[in-house]
Amino acid sequence: MSEILLIYAIIPLIKIAVIVLILSGAIAYLTLLERKLIAHIQVRLGPMRVGWHGLLQPIADGLKFLLKEDIVPAKADAFIFTIAPAISLIPAFLVFAVVPFGPPEMLQEVLRWTLSWFLDAATTERIAQNAIASGGYVTDINIAVLFVLSVSSVGILGVILGGWASNSKYPLLGALRSSAQMVSYEVALGFSIIGVLLVAGSLSLVEIVQNQQQEQIWYVFVQPLAFVLFFICGLAETNRLPFDLPEAETELVGGFHTEYSGFRFSLFFLAEYANMITVSAIGVALFLGGWLRPFPSWEWLWFLDLIPGVVWFLGKVFLLLYVFIWLRGTLPRFRFDQLMQYGWKIFLPVAMGNVIVTAGVLLAFL
Amino acid sequence: MMDFLRRIFFVDILKGLALTFRYTYRKVYTEQYPLEKPKLAERYKGAPRLNNDPVTGETLCIACDLCAEICPEDLIVVGSQRDPESRKKVLTHYTFDTSRCLFCGLCQEVCPTNAIELTQDFEIAAYDRRSMVWDRKRLEKGWDRIDFGKDYHR
Repeated sequence: MSEILLIYAIIPLIKIAVIVLILSGAIAYLTLLERKLIAHIQVRLGPMRVGWHGLLQPIADGLKFLLKEDIVPAKADAFIFTIAPAISLIPAFLVFAVVPFGPPEMLQEVLRWTLSWFLDAATTERIAQNAIASGGYVTDINIAVLFVLSVSSVGILGVILGGWASNSKYPLLGALRSSAQMVSYEVALGFSIIGVLLVAGSLSLVEIVQNQQQEQIWYVFVQPLAFVLFFICGLAETNRLPFDLPEAETELVGGFHTEYSGFRFSLFFLAEYANMITVSAIGVALFLGGWLRPFPSWEWLWFLDLIPGVVWFLGKVFLLLYVFIWLRGTLPRFRFDQLMQYGWKIFLPVAMGNVIVTAGVLLAFL
Repeated sequence: MMDFLRRIFFVDILKGLALTFRYTYRKVYTEQYPLEKPKLAERYKGAPRLNNDPVTGETLCIACDLCAEICPEDLIVVGSQRDPESRKKVLTHYTFDTSRCLFCGLCQEVCPTNAIELTQDFEIAAYDRRSMVWDRKRLEKGWDRIDFGKDYHR
């Protein structure tokens, strides 16, 4: 009984707590990274005052958000206005339930060591051998990719509801743009993922990474086009520059969160950055070999295996986030018609073509 | 055809990325002003100072009134008294209104003894107008930079 409780409730709950805590910290420091990096791209310094080189700036910002007055506009739909940030934040965090941070046997040693203090050797071994307990992920479901796509789509609802409930022009326009953009890029994103799914033959993120391990190659090299499409559509999905039309400051003040302030604004903010991390993590798992080291097929790079898989995973996620911010510092914003044109006329057909060619090649040669 | 290939492989975007990457690790231009003093040009003219003879410690000013005459803003007032024994003019008071000064440097150019000099100090803000009129004591003390130290500005 206690064994089942441990495997299916206590250990996953601990993992969830750790992931949520680390994720919140990561999001906070992602904002600092963004400000610093963009400052340096513009030959400025960025935040320097709070802590050494501004290292405590995220904490100061968070405190400021918490202490600000909680304003609900008089004509706003108070209930929807209040829950909209949560609707957009919860899916952003929920996706991390299936993100494989490490291999299925990642926590085996840790579990053996900690549990041996409380339990007898046989039970400890059984729990440590169980992949649900010892895996470097909260859960491994066989429809993980589908889960990610569907749950992250719920986040759009938060944006739309927030824009609608504000009862103000700019947020409504921002929300409309945002929904149009997210819906249209979601299609191309899905198609770019299908290419990988065809090659991997599985919807489970863990299995996709394991397949990359078996074939000794990252799927970027098998599906380069799909990766580029995935990344571009990921930019659009997370409302990042050059696709940040929903919150185009020069046109729409702040977009859907114009009327938001204080803590509720910070929830939207968290959700946006959490989505960035989500897209990067999913991209790493699908295309960049998850927890695998670079070039898994080259034997003479064996010393890279000494670094644990989690570090490789987080390193790759960091790299993608760096590119996210780097792009923001480089590119100007698209016009709305350009955005739609690229989405429907270029990315979608190319992604579909990629799927068809991949499927054809797989049928003909394998 | 070349144009098409350029667009397909994002050549221009990659060029832009390379450019911003180069800038990312360049030396920054930002001067952290209160912590880090800016480098001033050699000819920079700032707060005035009334020089004393470095050996005797007596004022170099001979109260000739030339600086007051040439000043376009008429902001210098030189007060003098004739010494009854040596029959020489002796400086009694000297005021310099920094609130009206345009730092043209004519006074320092015209001064025959290099008594009045515009230094490189620029931190001469004050809380009220009256304290912007510097008297002889303040002028002779000269470069009175208040260094708040590193912690003051944090």
